[in-house]
Amino acid sequence: MKDFLRQNGILLLVIALLLSILIGALSFVMGGQADPLSNIVNTVTAPVRGGVAAAADWVEGVYDYIFHYGEMEAELAELRARVRKLEEQVRQGEEAARENEQLRSLLDLTARRRSLSLETAKVTARSTSNWESTLTLSKGSADGIEAGDCVITETGVLVGVVDKTGINWSTVSTIVDTDTEIGGIVTRTYSAGVLEGDFSLMNQGRLKLNYLPEGAQLVSGDEVLTSGRGDMFPSGLPVGQVEGVFTNPSGQTRYAVVVPSVKLDSLIEVFVIKDFEITE
Amino acid sequence: MTRRDLIHKWFVYTLGLLPVWLLDAYILPRIPLWGITPMLLPLAAAAVAVLEGAYAGTGFGMAVGLLWELAYPGGFGGLVFFLALAGMAMGAVSQYALSQSFPGCLICAAGVLGLLDCLRVARMLLINAASLSELLQVAVPEFLWSLAWTPLIWLLFRTIYSRVGGTKLA
Repeated sequence: MKDFLRQNGILLLVIALLLSILIGALSFVMGGQADPLSNIVNTVTAPVRGGVAAAADWVEGVYDYIFHYGEMEAELAELRARVRKLEEQVRQGEEAARENEQLRSLLDLTARRRSLSLETAKVTARSTSNWESTLTLSKGSADGIEAGDCVITETGVLVGVVDKTGINWSTVSTIVDTDTEIGGIVTRTYSAGVLEGDFSLMNQGRLKLNYLPEGAQLVSGDEVLTSGRGDMFPSGLPVGQVEGVFTNPSGQTRYAVVVPSVKLDSLIEVFVIKDFEITE
Repeated sequence: MTRRDLIHKWFVYTLGLLPVWLLDAYILPRIPLWGITPMLLPLAAAAVAVLEGAYAGTGFGMAVGLLWELAYPGGFGGLVFFLALAGMAMGAVSQYALSQSFPGCLICAAGVLGLLDCLRVARMLLINAASLSELLQVAVPEFLWSLAWTPLIWLLFRTIYSRVGGTKLA
């Protein structure tokens, strides 16, 4: 056995073991920062990732244009109708905001303020594993991105949370990933819960709103936003809609299955919230 | 075999690994089949171990493990040792028990993929992430879909082996 191992690479095995321990120890110590070895490899391969992502996005665009032209036309007509409806709502909203401002000044209340410091980034890679849901972004610590930052779409819909950062890249755990744990609130009933990724729901692209209050009367289609509890994440970011309410196997608590508003498999560009200040 | 030949040989094998890595990391995750993406890197380690034997299998397994740990998100180091050990085992099994052929590679690939999925399922069960049936719903299709890629990976590395493999450059 000893001879067999000597002839067949015992030294290489020892080196592999040491490398394993080194990488494990470094990633444990570094926390949200990528370990130096991963940082170097991912920084060097960033142009390759960017190039492949750009080429793949272009091919997907051409494919959609050729094979889904009818669907795209129908979607465009639907979006135009939606824009008209939203423009009407904006007009009404502006009026309401003016009225709200007047009433606040009459009552001497502090005005609500929402200030987000954003950094735009391209999605350069998607989950490579079936056991987690991640995205790789084209920006990292050099642009001020830190682990724990929220990632949203151009319409403000929550995508996920930055998990690790390198110099010019970062990885994001999406909202359906099993590591996700964010405070959520249902707008219609103000029922608060915890948005959590669930393994069985992850591959269906859904997540759970757990620990719902006993009397919460949720219905399918209710909108779920981030609650901002703990001040770790901004409040009011749209997450998705309730699909159904179920009772946990223990029979003691109820949870809602939430369908995210974001289409994770077709994201090209996102915004990282580097800093936020919200005055309620 | 001179040092130059050796460098040339492993440079060509590394070039062979490049398209496998690009396909595995950046292209196939965009087009999952029934929501499942295959794992191609263990297949590359299996193909080279079967063709080149235990010693080279250990080294190539270690290199593939390093690539997996460093270039992919969520690495914790264990795959470097696992794939080096798997490379050694697959190389030895194909040298002494199986043949250095496609069926041998298929059996070794099934072994390494099965072991990887078993370890993942065990880890998820330990942290109570999901029930066994839910985990198997991911592990089984992943295993089968990955295994279906073995002929292509074998063909790629068999072609490289026929040009520069073994002691052909000597």
